[in-house]
Amino acid sequence: MATNNEDEDFTGPLRRILIAVLIVVLTAVFLFWRIDSPRAERLRAKFIDRFVPTFDWAMVPVTKAIDMVASFQSYTRIYEQNQELRRELRRIESWEEAAVQLEQQNAKLRALNNLRLDPKLTSISGVVLTDSGSPFHQSVLLNIGGRDGIVDGWAAVDGLGLVGRISGVGDATSRVLLLTDSSSRIPVTIMPSGQRAIVSGDNSRFPPIEFLVNPELVRPGDRVLSSGDGGVFPTGLPVGEVMETRDGRLRVRLKSDYEQLDFVRVLRTHSKERLKDPGVLIPPEAPPESPSATGGEDG
Amino acid sequence: MVDPLTRDRAVHRLLYLAIAALILFLRLLPVNPAGHSFPGPDLMLAFTFAWLMRRPDYVPVLLIVAVYVVEDMVFWRPLGLWPLLMLLATEWLRTREESLRDLPFLLEIALIGGLWFAMVLARRLILALVFSESVPFGMELLRLLATLAAYPLVVALLQTGLGLRRAAPGEVDDFGQRR
Repeated sequence: MATNNEDEDFTGPLRRILIAVLIVVLTAVFLFWRIDSPRAERLRAKFIDRFVPTFDWAMVPVTKAIDMVASFQSYTRIYEQNQELRRELRRIESWEEAAVQLEQQNAKLRALNNLRLDPKLTSISGVVLTDSGSPFHQSVLLNIGGRDGIVDGWAAVDGLGLVGRISGVGDATSRVLLLTDSSSRIPVTIMPSGQRAIVSGDNSRFPPIEFLVNPELVRPGDRVLSSGDGGVFPTGLPVGEVMETRDGRLRVRLKSDYEQLDFVRVLRTHSKERLKDPGVLIPPEAPPESPSATGGEDG
Repeated sequence: MVDPLTRDRAVHRLLYLAIAALILFLRLLPVNPAGHSFPGPDLMLAFTFAWLMRRPDYVPVLLIVAVYVVEDMVFWRPLGLWPLLMLLATEWLRTREESLRDLPFLLEIALIGGLWFAMVLARRLILALVFSESVPFGMELLRLLATLAAYPLVVALLQTGLGLRRAAPGEVDDFGQRR
């Protein structure tokens, strides 16, 4: 039997050294990733920043073509959709009347109270660049990043509700970890009962609700809002509504439309003041760092 | 004058890179981000092993490692682990390619399936050892099955499209070279 080591341009020992070096390097990379994860993830974000936009020229026509096919399919259902929209419109008209009345009432009460709303929730809009997800990691890549002021941990919403959380920021791109990803955990409030819980993704389309104290107080159809516990998210963003599966588990039917995720708004959340110095209980008022951080005198 | 064998190799290596880029591109397309409820086949894995079983000299180690490091980066996987396992598995197969030449196709599928299963198990084990989260096992198994189901198709494609096939007895000279 002839040895098979000559099937490369190298001789045997040289090749073996190459393999050994590769093994050592890859092991080192893995250990580096495990030990200094934040730095490794920053490197990764930088790499994606460089690498993915090189696909852009090819991606645009393909995406457009697929969009066209999808919209052509929707033409065939246009009559049904029309009927459905009419029905919905009729229902919404009555709500609109109620909303206008409530708004007037609200404005009056606010004027009475001299209440000032916090204008801290401003947003940056981005376009979904690629779907860097897989069955195991559900995330999308946006075309906005560090140069637009995106910061890790901010909330991403589409027109309807919460989509996910920024996790990984490059210079021109950032990654949104969708609520359905198996490593996504979002603290929520379930509305009429005010129960606190965690929505934890499990790669299915309807993430389960966990750590619920009194499940009997929660009914299918209840509204799920982000609670802002832990300072991760702004409070009160709509997440979805409760549904009960056949085996009696409570899950969330997400409000945001994951099937058509084109534009995503990223909400600027300003970090809350943290007590770093154990000796000083009341932190001194620091001047706001960026001009956009001024939220009035609501220190 | 370029030696035809060298040119052939260079062309096929470039082709491998092009296929890798194409598969990556298709997976990155922003079509239905949440529609991944059933994991599709890992085509890159199938392609790599199919080439390796047919013409190991067309897929050198460095190429495989480079492709998989890029894949790791783009798909937010633990860095370095999967390329390492790929390296070990492909080297293991490469040293045995010669004795596996007259293996029936069904046995080849079984062998490769076993190898993939071992790789997936090793990945879970290592991730558990370093207290890192790994993906649901059921999903991984489904993906493995899907990849195995796609393997014959990939092989057929390579055979008809690129004329890659297993070496026949007597086709290889004493130095392990063809022709």
